[in-house]
Amino acid sequence: MYSYIVRRLAFGVVTVFVVSVIVFVILRILPGDPLVAVFGMEGFTKLSAAERASYMAQLGLSDPLWLQYLHWLRDIASGNLGHSFFRAESVGEMIARRGPLTAEIAFLSVILSWLVGVPVAVVSALRPNSIGDNVSRFLSILFLAVPGFWLGMLIVLFLLFVFGYRAPLAGASLFENPIANLQIVIGPAVVLGLGQAAYIARMARSSLLEVIREDYVRTARAKGLSGRPVISRHALPNALLPVITLSGILLGFVLAGSIPVERAFGTPGLGYSMFTAVYERDVFVMQNLVFLYSIIFVLLNIAVDLTIAWLDPRIRYQ
Amino acid sequence: MTTVESDAQLGLASPLTPAKRSGWRRIAAGLWLFGRRAPLSAFWGCIAALIVFMAVAAPVLAPYDPLKSDFRAMTKPPTERHVFGSDQIGRDVLSRVIYGSRASLTVALGAVLFGTTLGALWGLASGFLGGRFDLVSQRIIEFLQSFPDLILAMAIAMALGAGFGTVIVAIAITRIPFGGRVIRSVVLSLKEMSYVEAARGVGASRLRVMLRHVLPQCVAPYLILATTHLGVAIVIEAALGFLGVGIPAPTPTWGNMLADSLNAGLIPPWWLVLFPGTAITVTVLAFNLLGDGIRDVLDPRLRGAV
Repeated sequence: MYSYIVRRLAFGVVTVFVVSVIVFVILRILPGDPLVAVFGMEGFTKLSAAERASYMAQLGLSDPLWLQYLHWLRDIASGNLGHSFFRAESVGEMIARRGPLTAEIAFLSVILSWLVGVPVAVVSALRPNSIGDNVSRFLSILFLAVPGFWLGMLIVLFLLFVFGYRAPLAGASLFENPIANLQIVIGPAVVLGLGQAAYIARMARSSLLEVIREDYVRTARAKGLSGRPVISRHALPNALLPVITLSGILLGFVLAGSIPVERAFGTPGLGYSMFTAVYERDVFVMQNLVFLYSIIFVLLNIAVDLTIAWLDPRIRYQ
Repeated sequence: MTTVESDAQLGLASPLTPAKRSGWRRIAAGLWLFGRRAPLSAFWGCIAALIVFMAVAAPVLAPYDPLKSDFRAMTKPPTERHVFGSDQIGRDVLSRVIYGSRASLTVALGAVLFGTTLGALWGLASGFLGGRFDLVSQRIIEFLQSFPDLILAMAIAMALGAGFGTVIVAIAITRIPFGGRVIRSVVLSLKEMSYVEAARGVGASRLRVMLRHVLPQCVAPYLILATTHLGVAIVIEAALGFLGVGIPAPTPTWGNMLADSLNAGLIPPWWLVLFPGTAITVTVLAFNLLGDGIRDVLDPRLRGAV
């Protein structure tokens, strides 16, 4: 087990390093001048060559690229993530202020997806092809197709028209103002949770259908256990192993999915900052946020692998 | 040798087509069988076909020019004149939804044609050749997969600057690893099949075995994958448009329309939200279910794998 953890972590470190290079290459080396982003195309053409050079030097963009890359790594190591082109707040402060909200949304959405997805899958798998099964399968197929951000817009509109209600727009911390915080977080969490629940219900259903046919489930029945303990103690724990993997992977995708969803709700989280950064072509912010999200994504994948290895000895020794 | 080959071809073309019939009748028979085996998917396949038709025939179907403002009807809810209402500068929403299908489908098709195909060919080569090439390819694919696909697409689209081509490239790149992984695993299991061994045994070159014997077997999983990826690509394209890094503004796309609706004021008018979003959902649903049906008919064993 320990050698497995060490190997997995070592590869994780390599991955994070390569990811940093990819992020840098995409956002700095690909065509597209950052000054165009700052001044707009028109403003850019009005600048003289000397002005351009001085702005580039100010932004640290006139150094050779490898040096810029090293500077970036140094900045990350020292915790100084630079400034946005357009805002006074530093990227580090922004992450500290807005990150918790997005983390809450992601966390809550995972809980919701399990609370919805697993029971639906159990009902579905115990009576395949019943009305309940068909309805839940249809719903999961539907929610796979509905874009989360659109669902979010619809929910906002619905609440507004029917109840005249709108979630508070200013950020609120979980500890200082839990009620306002919950109002902000719940919408995106529900939307993202339903999206994941669709995948989870689908996976859990097929996995449960497979497990129910296994010998040990028949043995459990044969020794006289009634239906419920057979399912909850014998079938489900095994059937849920692939669901854990899936859920971990989905959590990574939820971080990305929360970007348009937070925009739809106007949630003041990190996803919204990502949207502003993209919208304003704010290269530095984007670079750091993309890197942050990818690190989280990589760490999540490692966490999933390790959890599965811990839960399932068959994988550990491969 | 001949029997081996015909078996191989049967594996690919079977359940749909008994051998030797003229082209059109074969296709018709295939479609008929598809309809019988997977009626629900066939229905949604028809919807997908309708959407494709809508995109092709947009100039004929759309009641108005999607870019032209009607200043007598600005931000007006659906009326007889504008069935889906009009947006804040008086453009007809129905026409924009119809034209929007062009952007969505072009981008999705382009992304799948480049991304999924490139990934699939890469997977074929790396699975078949194995060895160091496979090892390196696997690592590269893993690195590509260490980004959530939307974020990778956002970063690339932003770096390259907005435009049709860049959106296609951005989404295509996110499709490569998925195509590569799936096809590689298919190829790995095919490689062990006795007919492949037989082909090798009679002295066929590696290239010939790969292209004549293994490649045709990858067509079914590729088709299934490609249909599903169409749906994914449409969602990503819409999200990019919604976030303002998609196809630039005057072009009507569903994502752009949703983004515009948020700029229409504090409260987005419901008709500007409802119709483009429904268009996205129905289109994605249609391609997903069509893909499910193709999988069930062509190769039920792939259930769960693709």
